[in-house]
Amino acid sequence: MVRDYDISNNEKQFVLAALEQNIRLDGRKLLQMRDVHISVSRDEYGYAEVSLGKTKVACRVTAEITKPYEDRPFDGIFQISTDISPICSPFFESGLTTGSKQSNDEILISRLIEKAVRRSGALDLESLCIIAGSKCWAVRADLQFLNYDGNFIDISSIAVMVALLHFRKPDMEIDGNNVILFDEDQRNPVPLSILHIPLCFTFQFYNPNDDEENIKGNLNNELILLDANLLEERLSLGSMTLTINKNKELCQMVKCGGLNIDASMIMNCCQHASNLVDDLTRKINDVIKKDSELRKNPVEKELQVVNQRET
Amino acid sequence: MIISISVPSKPEASDTKAGSSVVTPGELITDDPTWMRGHGTYFLNDKTYSSVAGTVLKVNKLLSVVPFKGRYSPETGDHLVGRIIDVGQKRWKVDIGGEHDAVLMLGSVNLPGGILRRKSESDELQMRNFLKEGDLLNAEVQSLFSDGSASLHTRSLKYGKLRNGVFVAVPSKLIVRAKNHSHDLPGNVSIILGVNGYCWIYKTPLSSAADHSASTAKTNAELSSAASGNYQPGQGSVSITRLEQESSWDIYSDKNDALSASIKDTISRYKNCLLSLSQCNIGINEIRLVRAYEISLGYGDTNLLFREEVRQSIGEDVIAQEKMRGAG
Amino acid sequence: MSRLELYSPEGLRVDGRRWNELRRFECQINTHPNAADGSSYVQQGNSKVLCLVKGPMEHGANLAAGTKLDPNGPVLSLNINYPPFASNERKKRPKNDRRLQEISIILKRCFMKTIVLKNYSRTAIDINLTVLAMDGGLLACFCNAITLALIDAGISLYDYVSAVSVGLYDQTPLLDMNALEENDLSFVTIGVVGDSDKLNLTLCEDKLPLDKLERLISLGIEGCHRLKELMDLQVRVAGGQLQERQ
Repeated sequence: MVRDYDISNNEKQFVLAALEQNIRLDGRKLLQMRDVHISVSRDEYGYAEVSLGKTKVACRVTAEITKPYEDRPFDGIFQISTDISPICSPFFESGLTTGSKQSNDEILISRLIEKAVRRSGALDLESLCIIAGSKCWAVRADLQFLNYDGNFIDISSIAVMVALLHFRKPDMEIDGNNVILFDEDQRNPVPLSILHIPLCFTFQFYNPNDDEENIKGNLNNELILLDANLLEERLSLGSMTLTINKNKELCQMVKCGGLNIDASMIMNCCQHASNLVDDLTRKINDVIKKDSELRKNPVEKELQVVNQRET
Repeated sequence: MIISISVPSKPEASDTKAGSSVVTPGELITDDPTWMRGHGTYFLNDKTYSSVAGTVLKVNKLLSVVPFKGRYSPETGDHLVGRIIDVGQKRWKVDIGGEHDAVLMLGSVNLPGGILRRKSESDELQMRNFLKEGDLLNAEVQSLFSDGSASLHTRSLKYGKLRNGVFVAVPSKLIVRAKNHSHDLPGNVSIILGVNGYCWIYKTPLSSAADHSASTAKTNAELSSAASGNYQPGQGSVSITRLEQESSWDIYSDKNDALSASIKDTISRYKNCLLSLSQCNIGINEIRLVRAYEISLGYGDTNLLFREEVRQSIGEDVIAQEKMRGAG
Repeated sequence: MSRLELYSPEGLRVDGRRWNELRRFECQINTHPNAADGSSYVQQGNSKVLCLVKGPMEHGANLAAGTKLDPNGPVLSLNINYPPFASNERKKRPKNDRRLQEISIILKRCFMKTIVLKNYSRTAIDINLTVLAMDGGLLACFCNAITLALIDAGISLYDYVSAVSVGLYDQTPLLDMNALEENDLSFVTIGVVGDSDKLNLTLCEDKLPLDKLERLISLGIEGCHRLKELMDLQVRVAGGQLQERQ
């Protein structure tokens, strides 16, 4: 058994009392996100590292050609693997070695990321089809959680989307039933067709009053936090994850029980998230654009090739 | 926005005016702050709400809601039937069908050798010889802990391990609290109606059967086969006095006496009568049980009593008889 | 996929309802008086769900070995039984279906805030859900069934939690979706506490324009209040029957 993250009563009271006065321990405002740092790999396609405060996640996208699922012959395959290993934090158990049941948090994290990216149709699966019923691309995004300081869901959605945007699959030609793949040097690899960029925003709820007030009262002064860190996440009484894209479409809204929140406050959360999504999308696009510009520079590429030969 | 669905109008409007008013979770009971809030309620500021579905009970200034259904919650002095589920350090854990398991301390049972005998370490080591997992016993609630779990005792002749019978569980709400919960019934059969809804129907022990036989003789007429049987179970042990019985290991014996087929038949008939009453949601006491038994004799063979419709009609007959007698 | 007309120009849906109408809602409590402490049966249109609640008790059957009972409240365990015959395609579900796992976590967290925790320290409550037939509104049916079964078990709740799904057809919100509508339209399931406007759970898995959300939620809340009334009615009727002869 892994020990849970124990928080002393003093610490708990201190954090909650501070929150009631709209103060967070790291100096942020209640609805402010931590700074997002995105870096992508220079010399390969489909690798991104994202950090949000101390939380850090890496994502690698790979692709191979396989047979499509029988019930969906015209679609490619897209999988996201989220195995949370004890590397990021001792609170997570390694599922592979012990074979134990995943904890509730782990199930939720992987489900929410899966729904945010895959189910919302961020990746155009039909474009991955090569020959209907016999050959298609299977794209796989492997998430590696490197450090845990709260809010895995939001950061993972960013990491997967950046890595997908960054990825290039080899160009190919179809010759009857054969597929010819071209090397990077022969033809430029092609990007995936990404339809939209869904991003997750997770809100945490806190109750300064007792349960009776939450149920029957009409103060509606529950506290709402965006992008909680580990300590805040452990103290929260309920959470809600919104997945939104730039077109102001809600792709997912999951509030897993917990504290009861007035509908109007939930609408405010949605509004707030939709304001943030533009900035974040722009940031992601900037990173991708900068990267592709660097790659376009032929001199640099030439030099790289030369370098490789020499070593 | 109008959601248009036709529903029968609320029928409870008339009920609420009657003496006992029905409330459901989240319903406002009163906004008068002078009431003390009891079980089944919660409050915010001055308002008291119900947290269960049940009837409002007002005792002096105490306001509580009695749920329609629910697990048994023990009270001091309750006569219970329970099942040992765990043997621990100086205590047994007893399942009494409540929210928590009850404890039976080694110090609150009668051990072989008389009341005055000191409890030694060797007793602790052989606790399993007295009572072990799966044993049924009847006991009384001695005291309650702060979380509502009970501590039991068996320091009386009428409590202790149960033998020679069958176990029946009915909802605890149906057992009508009475002064006495163990009864000798017609047909040489006794019953313990545990307040927790666990009941034990068994052959009347010989000692008490002797004082009782006169009163049951008449109702026993139709069961003459039982009386005329040559075999008298436990005949050899009649001479043991009560004091001796108490101090001997007999009270913790696991061996059932040999029961005649007719006793077994009677026991099973009572069991079905008990279940009939339970199925019809009729409060259970000795009088009703005997009445149900008498009615069931009219239905013939015991095997038929397993049928749901037979049980239903027994229950209804009991109610009908009660009404008739009440009127007459 | 066949192009069904999900919402006709005259304002009728595939099953003949208008946009703001619930499906026929029927419920019973105390359906299995001998098998469990509390039981309920909920029927929303053609979706049928059974719920059995055992507890509060000290030794939960579903409790994993070594799990300690919590001194601050009950340990809820939730088991969903979704047999192959319950839905249209007779598909055998893998043992750990992620979707059902997620739903069970959501429901668990939902009811941990609804049960009056302090009354049930060091106890376990087992909830067993069985789907008899599914025609949309899975989470909503589960939620309503659990609420009723908990009430039937005599467990203290702060209030009812009623849930319903609301979908969007073009510009029109549709209340209480059936499976046909769920397949083609995006929808959101919301769970409301009692008569308030407070949401306990929301679940939306498909794309929805953000500006339509408010209408959907307000329609959903109306629907939930209606369901709560219907459930309340049934609880009172059943309670009266139980009381009658005692």
